[in-house]
Amino acid sequence: MKRVIVLVVLVLIAVVSSVITPLVISIEVPRYLKDLSRYYIINTIKDTASPEAVAAIVWDYRGLDTVYETLVLYLAIVGGLTIFMYTGELARKTPVGLTLLSRTATKIITVLISTVSAAIAFHGHLTPGGGFPGGSALAVATMLIIPVFSINTLLEKGVTSTKLVAIRGVSLTGLGLVALLPVIRGLEIVTNQRFYPGYLDGFILSGSISLYNLLEFLAVASGFTAVALYLSIPEEYYKGGDNA
Amino acid sequence: MIELILFWTGACLFIVGGVFDLLAAIGMIRFPNFYVRLHAATIGAIYGAVVPLIGISLMALGSPDIPSRYAVAGASLVTALILLVVSPVGSHVLAYAAHKSRSVPWSPVVDALEEDEEK
Repeated sequence: MKRVIVLVVLVLIAVVSSVITPLVISIEVPRYLKDLSRYYIINTIKDTASPEAVAAIVWDYRGLDTVYETLVLYLAIVGGLTIFMYTGELARKTPVGLTLLSRTATKIITVLISTVSAAIAFHGHLTPGGGFPGGSALAVATMLIIPVFSINTLLEKGVTSTKLVAIRGVSLTGLGLVALLPVIRGLEIVTNQRFYPGYLDGFILSGSISLYNLLEFLAVASGFTAVALYLSIPEEYYKGGDNA
Repeated sequence: MIELILFWTGACLFIVGGVFDLLAAIGMIRFPNFYVRLHAATIGAIYGAVVPLIGISLMALGSPDIPSRYAVAGASLVTALILLVVSPVGSHVLAYAAHKSRSVPWSPVVDALEEDEEK
């Protein structure tokens, strides 16, 4: 009886709100563009050689903001890793995964996820996407492997958090270098088109935007994977001091 | 002519998917325990999502006036195939975990997995 009352109330709210909303809020298509949006729409391809206005704004027009934002995320992940730091050697156990069916399906899906994440990252200057969403998608593949195959499989394959943090550090250093290099020729920091080539042999490179996307992809994927690895270390390891 | 056939076949698949979604929702409420409800949920995922996605793919192929119809058709077909692989495995893992942890009270007539594990 109680469930029926809840259902009736929910349906009533849905009906009433869908009737009231168009009456109270007038939804109109804007008839003119603001000057700023007009500027971006007309000039993006000329200024940045990128047909994707969002990527152009994030990594070119507002590039300095994004570089600093990446730094903030880096510090956040380093902070998290410091809290979960485990200095002892993890006891290697034989991996006990889930059933054969789920392992086979996960193998197929992992390949698909990796392909899609690479496509998201490397087409970031052409289509919606970019380094951050691509890297997060790649990290999902690892997060899928940990419960299905067990963390020991990853450790046996040589995927350790030390290596991942190293990859993250190298790619973030690269990101900083890409931002700093134009200064050598007397240009501003995070300069794009006046320093990096926009086109290469007919391909659209969008200058530094594709470089930023590639490095951010590596940084985000390795960072999130390292966090996932640390979070899957059992609690007993921290309590006992030595391997409990 | 062929486009018309494609469009209406797709539309039929779409409607079939809607009907199966409704049936799955009823099953989720009416079925007695976790394992049988999982069956209803998987019906919702396969017949209620994969079949309509194939329908959308056919409908897109049968509509020459929409832009980039091949992209829409291909994307929905690929999504349907991925769902076809993923959702049975999801149900399988859920059922396996529930059976392993013995968190679902039930009285089965035959439990082959239990017999296998006792051997």
